[in-house]
Amino acid sequence: MITYPTEAGTENMQIKAIELEVIDKKYPLAKNQGRNMDINFEDFWALKGISFEVSQGQILGIIGRNGAGKTTLLNIIAGTLAPTQGKVLVKGKVLGLFNLGVGFQDELTGRENIFLNGAILGASREEITDKLDSIIEFSELGGFINMPLGSYSQGMRLRLGFSIVINLDFDILAIDEVLAVGDALFQSKCFERLMDFRRSGKTLIVTTQDMGLIERLCDKVVLLDHGHLSYSGQPPEGIDRYRTLLNTEKFFVGPVQKSAKLIENTKKWADNTSEWGKELGTREVIIDSVKFTNKFGWRSSRIRSGEPLKIKVRFSVRNSVKEPHFGIAIFRSDGVYCYGPNTAFDGYNIPELKPGRGYFILNFHKFLLAPGEYRLSVAIWDKNETLAFDYHDGCYKLAVNGKNKARIELLNIPFKFYPRDYIGFTVEHKCEPDLSGLNDKWGRKTGTEESRIGSVKFLNRLGGESSVFTTGEPITLAVNFNGLIRGNKNCYLWLGVYREDGIYCQGIVRKLNNKSRFFKILFPKLFLLPGGYRVSLGVWDNKKQEFIMCHHAAYQFRMVFNKEDHGTVYLEHRWKYKLPSMP
Amino acid sequence: MGIINEIITRRNLIRELVLKNLKIRYSKSLLGFLWAFLSPFLIVLIFYVVFSLILNVKTREAPFVLYLMSGVFSWRFFQDSLISSTTSLIDNKNLIRESSFPHYLIPLSIVLSNMIDFLSSLIILLIVSLFVLQGLPYFVLFLPIVLVIHLGICTGLSIIFSILYVKWRDIKHILEAVLLLLFYLTPAFYSLYLVKASFSSLLFRVYLYNPFVGVLNLYRSSILKGFYKAIQSEVGIVPLLFMPLGFAIVVLLLAFYFYRKNKDNINDYLSY
Repeated sequence: MITYPTEAGTENMQIKAIELEVIDKKYPLAKNQGRNMDINFEDFWALKGISFEVSQGQILGIIGRNGAGKTTLLNIIAGTLAPTQGKVLVKGKVLGLFNLGVGFQDELTGRENIFLNGAILGASREEITDKLDSIIEFSELGGFINMPLGSYSQGMRLRLGFSIVINLDFDILAIDEVLAVGDALFQSKCFERLMDFRRSGKTLIVTTQDMGLIERLCDKVVLLDHGHLSYSGQPPEGIDRYRTLLNTEKFFVGPVQKSAKLIENTKKWADNTSEWGKELGTREVIIDSVKFTNKFGWRSSRIRSGEPLKIKVRFSVRNSVKEPHFGIAIFRSDGVYCYGPNTAFDGYNIPELKPGRGYFILNFHKFLLAPGEYRLSVAIWDKNETLAFDYHDGCYKLAVNGKNKARIELLNIPFKFYPRDYIGFTVEHKCEPDLSGLNDKWGRKTGTEESRIGSVKFLNRLGGESSVFTTGEPITLAVNFNGLIRGNKNCYLWLGVYREDGIYCQGIVRKLNNKSRFFKILFPKLFLLPGGYRVSLGVWDNKKQEFIMCHHAAYQFRMVFNKEDHGTVYLEHRWKYKLPSMP
Repeated sequence: MGIINEIITRRNLIRELVLKNLKIRYSKSLLGFLWAFLSPFLIVLIFYVVFSLILNVKTREAPFVLYLMSGVFSWRFFQDSLISSTTSLIDNKNLIRESSFPHYLIPLSIVLSNMIDFLSSLIILLIVSLFVLQGLPYFVLFLPIVLVIHLGICTGLSIIFSILYVKWRDIKHILEAVLLLLFYLTPAFYSLYLVKASFSSLLFRVYLYNPFVGVLNLYRSSILKGFYKAIQSEVGIVPLLFMPLGFAIVVLLLAFYFYRKNKDNINDYLSY
């Protein structure tokens, strides 16, 4: 058999710089450290069965939650910690840049620390003397270089430490979560230098919580979860998995939904009303204030149903975050999810939030929720809605006033009633059918012969019958009584729209007269969100306080939508925002 | 010998560590390096007042002040090295955790920086001795060898105790008590003949085989003119030279063996 050297060459193109084989690391939780004997002394396995390799010239990112074992792994690669089991192969000289202040002596000046730190990192005095100028120059410390290190800020320590390390000779450089301390200018300088290293074939390993940095910098990521290797491979997927990991650990909220097709169902209930009032999130962005403004422009957490509402949220950004979006969710006080618009669903593309202050405004043109008490959640989160930067869950109360507070319906969608309402006829609010007797009796029809109902039809905008509608379409409910209803002096027509899970969305009550056998109810824009709905029809005798007839939830229709949204009702709205800009 | 190679390749680090220790010790004080001389002399002064003027202690071997200085200086070198080395790995965990250099360089650097203090006071002692006794013994040529033996004992014990302390913090308090006891068991401020007079001859021989007694006798023999003559009849070559030398070698070998065994898990304990 002939083997071609070129083939063998391609095999070896990628020289392994680091190889880890089934690394375990156990920390002794020493029994003779202190005397708190009530603590359960068990060995702590910081790393379990970690294997991966890094090729020369690659930049490896190690990601994971705090305490996942990132620093331990980095220390093992750098040779500062020995694995309990397993094999570490590292080719070439490794330098490490770990916690700030490590390797420095506060009593010595910056310059003296360069010599000490350089010596610790294995450089000879000549090498340090040669590179002293470039180290000082890169650190931009100027006159501070002759000041004792104790007077340095964290950022200055980072600059000094980083300058020393990168000016010395190495093959592999390990950097632990320290870059974030530097200012933007220094960070970009470091970033450039790291890219130079990659080009010159040096191998870099970084750990950071800055996923943006990982995405820009790394060729490969390793995701650690409680000491186990959860993923090793391409950065975008690793980052996604990390975010999912954060999600599963209850960091946040909400499903990852992705499809631009017709949406058939949306979220109906709050995740957990007991979580209301909590503030979650990574706090990279902080929601400072949330203010409600009514139609007069007054600040008020009380508005009238059907009137406009403006919500203004001020926030401050601590760390820049990529592709954020803003979201506000409205719940009824019992946890029914009314509506949860966000800028991602509405197609706003915010590439980045830079540090500073900003605000966003959500304007509802008509707040179509029925009178009652509501709770609002406000969130700023990442593009997949898996990682909340800040999330105030049900923290804000909003009261909606209206004509009739006693009603248990959810919505107040405008409609027209035919035959036309006239003055003296629209007395619907004086009467309220008692619906408690209808519980759990879906599809049940009761009633006397004479009040039989021929049909309830759902008509679309062209007058044709249909059972599927798109959110925002006009819908006409055509009600046809076969026989006249006798003894109807105190009789009222009741029409109820229910959501499939039993939530009473909207009720319409009109006094019956002797003349009409046909009624039409037109919703010019039925803003129900995707899902199944049912309609009930009844005749309520207000004197006897009972239904003469009732077809409870006997008529069904579905709503679909071409856009993703959360909740029960679509409320027309507009977003406005002002993002922080760098000074 | 891997250890010797390691020390040679890391000589720059050793120098920087020694410089660091000295700078930290003296840079902020008004009198600075002068304290390296002042503090041992203050102790000598106190001992002199207590033992010579008040208790009227006499030494046959040499003038009491010289006798006292040689004893106190060399003892202080040993004791200071050991005490500050013991906590040194913990004190310097910042330095150790960042890099993979051998841990024993830290106690070694402390012993070396203490030796620099010691050397300066030793020079003064030599000068004083030269004038007071009108000359130096021929053994002064062996002083470097004596120093190396002493350095070996200090380094070895420092390394052992610094590693022990990482895992067993009580060792520091035990060490302090043991050092005090050892100090009284070493003829720093009393004459060997006083011991001979109060101990049985067997106990006296045992006493002489204490390596610290041997080291002190070596120092005095090579600095104080006429000292060796005075003890020649009592102290043989074995307890005088071979006992300290052997002890130094054993302690050093033990130290490096102990380090080899523990080097992989020292850093684990440093995090606490």
